[in-house]
Amino acid sequence: MASKLFATLAASLGPAQASLEFKWMIQQSPKLQHLTDMVTRRSRGEPLQYILGESLVLSKSPNLLTSIPGSQPFGPLNLLTRPPVLIPRPETEHWVIKLADRLSASSAQPKSLLDLGTGSGCIPLLLCHLLPQGSLRAHGVDISTHALQLATDNATLCAIPPESTSKNTFTVSLGNFLSPSFPDDAKINLPYDIITSNPPYIPWDEYLQLPRSVTAYEDPKALFGGPTGLDFYHAIARLVRRKHFLRPGAIVALEVGHGQAQAVERIMRLDAHMRDTEIWSDPWGKERTVLAHL
Amino acid sequence: MFVTVMENKQRLFMLSLSRWIRTPVGSRLCRFASHLHRPSPTTSDTKNARIMRILGKRVQERTQLSSQLSEEMSSAADISRLKQLKESEPLQAAWDEWIRIRELLEETNALLEDSDEAMRALAVEEHQSLNKSLTELVETTVPALLIPPSTTSHLSAMLELKSGVGGSESSLFLANLLRMYLRLANVRRWQASVVSQNENDGGGIKDAIVEVKGEGAYDALRWESGVHRVQRVPATEASGRVHTSTVAAIVLPLMEETGTTEELFNMDDVKVEVMRSRGAGGQHVNKTESAVRLTHVPTGITVSMQDERSQHQNRRRAFTVLRSRLMDQKIMREIAERRATRQNLVRTADRSEKIRTYNYAQERVTDHRIGLTLKNLSSVLEGDGLEDFIGALQKDHAETVLEDMLSDA
Ligand SMILES: C[S@@+](CC[C@H](N)C(=O)[O-])C[C@H]1O[C@@H](n2cnc3c(N)ncnc32)[C@H](O)[C@@H]1O
Repeated sequence: MASKLFATLAASLGPAQASLEFKWMIQQSPKLQHLTDMVTRRSRGEPLQYILGESLVLSKSPNLLTSIPGSQPFGPLNLLTRPPVLIPRPETEHWVIKLADRLSASSAQPKSLLDLGTGSGCIPLLLCHLLPQGSLRAHGVDISTHALQLATDNATLCAIPPESTSKNTFTVSLGNFLSPSFPDDAKINLPYDIITSNPPYIPWDEYLQLPRSVTAYEDPKALFGGPTGLDFYHAIARLVRRKHFLRPGAIVALEVGHGQAQAVERIMRLDAHMRDTEIWSDPWGKERTVLAHL
Repeated sequence: MFVTVMENKQRLFMLSLSRWIRTPVGSRLCRFASHLHRPSPTTSDTKNARIMRILGKRVQERTQLSSQLSEEMSSAADISRLKQLKESEPLQAAWDEWIRIRELLEETNALLEDSDEAMRALAVEEHQSLNKSLTELVETTVPALLIPPSTTSHLSAMLELKSGVGGSESSLFLANLLRMYLRLANVRRWQASVVSQNENDGGGIKDAIVEVKGEGAYDALRWESGVHRVQRVPATEASGRVHTSTVAAIVLPLMEETGTTEELFNMDDVKVEVMRSRGAGGQHVNKTESAVRLTHVPTGITVSMQDERSQHQNRRRAFTVLRSRLMDQKIMREIAERRATRQNLVRTADRSEKIRTYNYAQERVTDHRIGLTLKNLSSVLEGDGLEDFIGALQKDHAETVLEDMLSDA
């Protein structure tokens, strides 16, 4: 029976990937009923990260399976995932850890951070976890209430409080950073020392080519970055060049899509008036992150 | 008349006994300080003589150390001397015991020639019992005290199993061995976790890495390194012909991220590669892609890890394996250097050497290094019999260390 399930999985994923994922599923729950459910969902194209979750093993009733969030390790953290909120990507994990190294070198006073389009909260939460306690006050905004709920749940799970004098903190609020009335209506406290964002960056033509596991499960609003994919970077440039948005010496770190790094670097230099820009590559050799200094 | 003489002699004998038992340590040492440089004259066994010579030397060093203590006994040097004195107390006690038994033996020797038959019989009995104590002291107690404590006793272990010759049968046997080690860990209350494991298509396990955490895990398991050979009729073999297959085991000291092992490698020397391509990557792809490969350029060591769901976790695991392999190389290098300077034979640590055979038909397991055969294969595979091998191998190692020490003495 198990071998039949494996064959089903292998038919949709190929044998190598299937044997890894099947092993993780068995670790999750060796019960045939659970395995069958997981394999069925996975073979239909549902992302593994929505299926596998710590809390699943705790569930007694198999009917509850679908309503229980999945999870994805992110650095040393284990974050909840829940459709349609974007699943944290390994590329993001990589640059955030690198950014943490960069930031911890200079942590005399507590820094304030704004994460634009925070989704699961993965970026600020990992920074809060990695940086010395009491050195970071992070805030995330998102246009999606699903995202805000998940980010709040993740903060609780990771024991990162919204308020504390001795610990790093994380808060969220609803906001649309494309809107001209942002940031006034988003309850945020200017100025910031650090801006991070992994904004939607997929251009229209590429959006149409995406695999089903992405488009059928993840929020289009989390992915689609306008006709060229650069809309959100222009919006961010308009924000950060405003008076009193950034504190002197501030850092802006932006994830970009493949082939966008040069364009975004230019936007940061020319439109946002930032300097000392850097481009970081991801572990697969793609230019992935643009770093800019005020 | 006759009775009185015997009683007198017996009383004398008993007296001398109790005198020796009650004499304080210090005065015995003074009285027989002349023994310090003299090898045992009564034993023809030169190994035992050398053992006692080493002990004598240690005791002499101890006496010197205590003479260096200042009046107040308060300086930092004093504290370290007092600590050393405290640590070497058992050596002193063993030495005192040796002196005491030998002295008693001398007295008994005289009585062996006694004209009285009952006296002689008593003396013979006493002589035998004293000799037994002396042998026990010199051959067991003292060597145990002289062998330096293991420097690796606190280390946990990383056990790597790789199937060798014999195809699927080797993979099936690997699964048996893996179970055996997991059971042993359970009995010893070590925490064992399989961090990486590749199934074989035809059944069994192609290779596996197990972390075994706990005090003494490395010291116990390190002797498992080498080629394990199985002789049995494979479950898949219709003709009933016995096959021989092998599994290679490598036991490394587990080097977790501690910050103290920084010097094992330079981060710039490690190339980190991701395994498969991810196309556009980022938001475009939500497939789990977590496999990592490390290459330590100076040594050419490569480590691949894909069992965890995140890059970060696989990277950490891979670095633990790399650190463990580098630490192992360091330990092996040190052993080789010591061997080179000593010019003597320490048993080779060659990992391609066949160390043990598991013969199913005859229900027996033989360890070729120490020539030990246990006629209870199932007990070995259940972990209990394995304890016997490990015990014997540890004892054998201790003897090798002692031999080393003796050839230096
Ligand atoms: C690519 S996801 C990134 C999520 C998360 N930061 C991460 O790295 O996994 C982009 C996020 O931006 C949010 N978003 C999209 N448009 C937005 C807008 N106009 N204002 C605020 N948030 C927006 C989406 O809801 C989504 O959570």
